Amino acid sequence: MKATRSFVTILLCMVSLLASSTLMAANQAGLDASIEELKAEVVELNQELFELEEQLLYPATTSFAVYVSMTSVEDFDLHSIKINLDEQDVTSYLYSQQQIKALRRGGIQKIFTGNLKPGLHKLIAEIQGKDQDGRTLKRSVLAEFGKARSSKYLEVKISHNPKQNRPDFAIVEWK
Amino acid sequence: MRWLCLIALVISANVLAEDLMPDQVRTSVNDVLYGQALFSLHSGDYQKALGLNQRLQNRAGKGYGKILDIHKATAQLGLGMGQRAKKQFYQLISSEKNQLIPGKARSHAWFYLAQHFYNKGDWKTALKSIRKVNIESIDSELKDEFHFLAATLELFEGKVKNADSHILGISQNSMWAAFAFTNLAISYTERDVHTSKVEAVFNKALLLTKYTSNPGDLVDKINLMAGQFFFSTGRGRSAIKHLKNVSLDGAFTPKALLTYGWALTEQWQYHDALQPWYMLKTSHSSLNQDVQETLIAIPHLLEKLNAKVMALGAFDYATKQYDEIISQLKKSADRLNTGEFIEPLLAQQIPDKWGAFEPVDLSLPNHPDRIYLKDVMSQGEFQGELKTLRDLHAMRYQLTTSLEHLSAFKDVSETRAKEYNKIKQDDRIKLTNRQIKGFEKRYKKLVAKVNKAFKNPDGRGLASASEKEQLQAFKGVTEKITNLKELTNFKSAHYKQRLRRVDGVLKWALSERYTKRKKQVSASLAALNNKLRDAKAQHKAAKLAYISAPKAFKGFNWKISKLEKKYFSELVSLGKVYQKQREKVGSIVKDDINDRQRRVMDYQLQARLAAARLFDETSNKERAVADTGAIQ
Repeated sequence: MKATRSFVTILLCMVSLLASSTLMAANQAGLDASIEELKAEVVELNQELFELEEQLLYPATTSFAVYVSMTSVEDFDLHSIKINLDEQDVTSYLYSQQQIKALRRGGIQKIFTGNLKPGLHKLIAEIQGKDQDGRTLKRSVLAEFGKARSSKYLEVKISHNPKQNRPDFAIVEWK
Repeated sequence: MRWLCLIALVISANVLAEDLMPDQVRTSVNDVLYGQALFSLHSGDYQKALGLNQRLQNRAGKGYGKILDIHKATAQLGLGMGQRAKKQFYQLISSEKNQLIPGKARSHAWFYLAQHFYNKGDWKTALKSIRKVNIESIDSELKDEFHFLAATLELFEGKVKNADSHILGISQNSMWAAFAFTNLAISYTERDVHTSKVEAVFNKALLLTKYTSNPGDLVDKINLMAGQFFFSTGRGRSAIKHLKNVSLDGAFTPKALLTYGWALTEQWQYHDALQPWYMLKTSHSSLNQDVQETLIAIPHLLEKLNAKVMALGAFDYATKQYDEIISQLKKSADRLNTGEFIEPLLAQQIPDKWGAFEPVDLSLPNHPDRIYLKDVMSQGEFQGELKTLRDLHAMRYQLTTSLEHLSAFKDVSETRAKEYNKIKQDDRIKLTNRQIKGFEKRYKKLVAKVNKAFKNPDGRGLASASEKEQLQAFKGVTEKITNLKELTNFKSAHYKQRLRRVDGVLKWALSERYTKRKKQVSASLAALNNKLRDAKAQHKAAKLAYISAPKAFKGFNWKISKLEKKYFSELVSLGKVYQKQREKVGSIVKDDINDRQRRVMDYQLQARLAAARLFDETSNKERAVADTGAIQ
């Protein structure tokens, strides 16, 4: 009888231990899941905020943006880009190796966003980097463009010139 | 378990989530959203990438297909949403039919996934993933690392043969060879392998350290591990040989000095053993656990050297030191409750840097618990949980900042609404319109008057009253002359000529006046006309501004309020989860503090007992000496 009682006690202890450890594991999994859920919600909310910001601060009638792209260019190591709009330096950007890799893999970077009046404007992009021989390369590209009462997008395009075997720089207007 | 810690240091945390992806260049030049998503993803801005991915997925029918799912899973992995990413990735890369991912990319994906789960401590999943890697498909520079990772994971699971085959696959001049042989040696120490074989593997690992980027630390670690192993197996001489080679200013110095002392003690070299322990005691903080052990080991050794009075003093000193350590640990525990412990650590983190691949900044300048925290931070579990807490902290910061942004947007919207209403409520346009119409009417009247006045170019319209009388008189005189001529045969030619001359002078003066005045009036009228035209143009411009007054505030207030509500509720939910995670991190530290306190209390008890015993012994000796003296 005594043996049976002690056996039952041990069994109960084991069951309670197992139950508490299961509960702890479930709590842990629950917390992890709610953290992931929170992360997803925060990302979604921030995206909504970003869109709202774009709509509010850069209305379609005045919005102006400059993008940077660099596809199939293996012989040029981009260091920095400086953007000058209507004789004023509006932005400059220093690139990390990871960002250069991102551009090479087809990414487009929005380097500048702003508002611009209708009329004639001038944009100069000053690009600095190193060529395949490690020599510093500095190029300026200029674009004169007109803006109507609608959004305007320009792209600073770095591409490979296979004929001359060197990088080409240009500013392209998006239609 | 100790060898798991070693490898955790070895795997670099610089694996990037986007490496899991196949190379996919954007298909359309003008699809800017996709290009931006690619840029964010490849440059490690996972939050932005995930947001843009959401927008892209909402824009159905763009033909990106499964690639967006891969991007999503990649970004999720980068943000530390491992469970979701794992599910998504497994669905994508498990299917061999999925043509979007070529064999090479698939193998790389499995490899990096394995590395990711390994870093997260999910070794079973890591092993499953590494077993799916096709060695022929991965880049040659990754092969050694692959073998190392596979060997380590196989060793964790106890599959020694599999591990051995992977270790043999590593080229000898690769940095991974040193790590792999170290792991193999540690694995041997935990299995029943002959010590000579263990020593040979340790020596091989030491030999291969020259191929690693920072051999100093690894050499120290291998020597310490070997020393500890040989000491625990009773091979003091071999232990001493290895421990002697550990540098005196490295991270492993305290442990090496402590074990070195014990190994010398075991070799009955008590005097020599005191030297490393004194060195350890004087050059390191008493919060270091090795120093704590030394505090009790020194008097123990002194007792063995029969310096009982000195040992008694050292035991008393140790008891006091332990009191101080316990009190310091208690203060740390109190600071944990009052938020002075983990919060300063979180406060120094960069708010934008979060996610699975962003390391926690563990530097602690001027923190009272700096020495202790350094110890706790070396624990993998603490670091993992702290990273999650850091993520929550960063998200809370983001939510608060976003609420500030929303408040600023509200101001912008309100300012625009005010401007709009001001323009709309302005009466000036109506007033000007009325005035312009009045002016136009008056101008027309004036023009009519002027035209009437200048109708006769002879200037009669401009004659004064006396001049008009004169003209009338000339007419009368002319008539009289004519009558006189008919009646009296009056010779009038002379009179007529004189009259014509006088009349001509008057008319000349009138004509001159007409020309002059007309010039003046024309100039005035032209000026007036110009002014009227300018006023009309101004009015037109004002009217245009009135019509096209900025309405860019409409609908935003509602959107902002809606978003604000969402942010507030998110902040509340985050607060609750943050609290839970904070408690979890706190409990790890609390448990650790309790363990340390318990150990120190145990040392203290031992020191007190030993001191009491020694006190008793030395007192008895004195009494015995005194008694002998009395008898003599």
